[in-house]
Amino acid sequence: MSQYRKMTRDERTMLNRALDRWGVFEIMKEKNFLIKQDDNVKKVCLVSDEQALLQQFCESGLVIGEMTKQFAPTLQGADLFFRSAGCNNLYVKVNENAEKLVLYGRDVMGDSIIDAPKTLSENVLVAIINSNREVIGLGRTRFGSDLVLQKGKITITTISDAGQYLRDEDDEKSAKMTRSR
Amino acid sequence: MAAEDKDRFSMTAIFPESARSLSLASRYGYDPWLVGRFLQYIPDIDGFLSKMERPPTKYIRVNTIKTGKKELSGRLKSKGFILADTEIPEVLSVKNTPLPLGATNEYLLGQYYIQDLASCMAVEALDVLPDQAVLDMAAAPGGKTSFIAQRMNNTGMVVALEPNKKRTRSLVFNLSRLGIYNTSICSIDGEKAADLGIKFDRVLLDAPCSCEGVIAKDPTRKTNHKPEDIDFCAKKQEILIESAIKVAKPGGLIVYSTCSFAPEENEAIINKALQKFRIELEPINHGNEGLTEFAGIKFDPSLRNTRRFYPHINDTTGFFVARIRVKS
Repeated sequence: MSQYRKMTRDERTMLNRALDRWGVFEIMKEKNFLIKQDDNVKKVCLVSDEQALLQQFCESGLVIGEMTKQFAPTLQGADLFFRSAGCNNLYVKVNENAEKLVLYGRDVMGDSIIDAPKTLSENVLVAIINSNREVIGLGRTRFGSDLVLQKGKITITTISDAGQYLRDEDDEKSAKMTRSR
Repeated sequence: MAAEDKDRFSMTAIFPESARSLSLASRYGYDPWLVGRFLQYIPDIDGFLSKMERPPTKYIRVNTIKTGKKELSGRLKSKGFILADTEIPEVLSVKNTPLPLGATNEYLLGQYYIQDLASCMAVEALDVLPDQAVLDMAAAPGGKTSFIAQRMNNTGMVVALEPNKKRTRSLVFNLSRLGIYNTSICSIDGEKAADLGIKFDRVLLDAPCSCEGVIAKDPTRKTNHKPEDIDFCAKKQEILIESAIKVAKPGGLIVYSTCSFAPEENEAIINKALQKFRIELEPINHGNEGLTEFAGIKFDPSLRNTRRFYPHINDTTGFFVARIRVKS
């Protein structure tokens, strides 16, 4: 059974800084978070007030990110931040064609980015959003804002995407078929 | 109820074969014993058997945590979906799909969940309120659990029990995709719910059952369903409902549901609980009245307050729902 515990002061400070970067500190500052320790991975879980009092469960709340040297949001975390705040400076907006490709796990070409903040740095985590401003994936910038829109080059590496589950399901099905042959 | 009647439901009632039951069984490919039973408790049997030959109507539940009903239906309609309102505001029936329901971007983004209307009726009957403590005793894959959490707007506490580790995985995924964060999952059997040491305002027991109501989805049940299955499920259901009553707060609500038509798994279970515990049945707005008599045995008249959903009448999968109030 996984272990849940309250956040330490340092962890909460690190999380608060990240929430600030993602533009949701004011909205999230009163929320409850627990740490779920899975082997060496520290997962940050958002829980309701009542759940914060319980710790004997195998799964609790929504995993919004992981703590390493910094807080890194999960896809669900980034989605929550975007739905809560509506706007922040850590995103790239892609066109419809790129949206389909991202949902197949493909990286993002500079040509297909239709909007990105002018403050993006190289090698940072960004939410990949569609034209409805919905988070469809998480990516890492290969360039800063001056080069992120350049044509003919992959400028965002897709780390996770909302289509992953369907692909996992297909893999599981084909693995079962292979085993049964 | 006479003493000998009390134990009568420990064995599934089988009725003598008739020319009609044999003819219908042969025409639609069922085991005759099953049609013989259906003739006793399903109205308009021809309509029912014919309906079970057609694919069931599909429904989606709008995830109001992530989007609005108008917004989602507008987007799906622009892709060629034909949708219609139902008795439950969040649920839309899907009349036409240009692509599989589980393959749209909206689905992947957790904006809706594919869920039968009858299944949503169980949550509707549970009447959850924000900030309550709610127990879902058999949670995977999470359709009802996530609807409960959605109705509570991610407040309070939902405890979802699921002893099967494999099924827990799909439960975790679905809750995550739908953006639910007021739910905890516990890998214990519903029989041991009291071990949690918590009393709940609401308890949902969607009991494991013989699944007679989903024959349209799984036609193999026409012949691989056996009377012993009903016996086996009824025994388990009796234990689970006792467990549910024990963890509910005085004045709290329990909803008992199954996707079976068998009275031994439905009215008979509730009837026994009514005799044993300080509980009462409350009416439900939708569906058809429950049975007050089966196989010559009379149930408590308040069993009329339970509800049956029939595919050919309600356009849902077959379902049974009882709303039980624990007396203060």
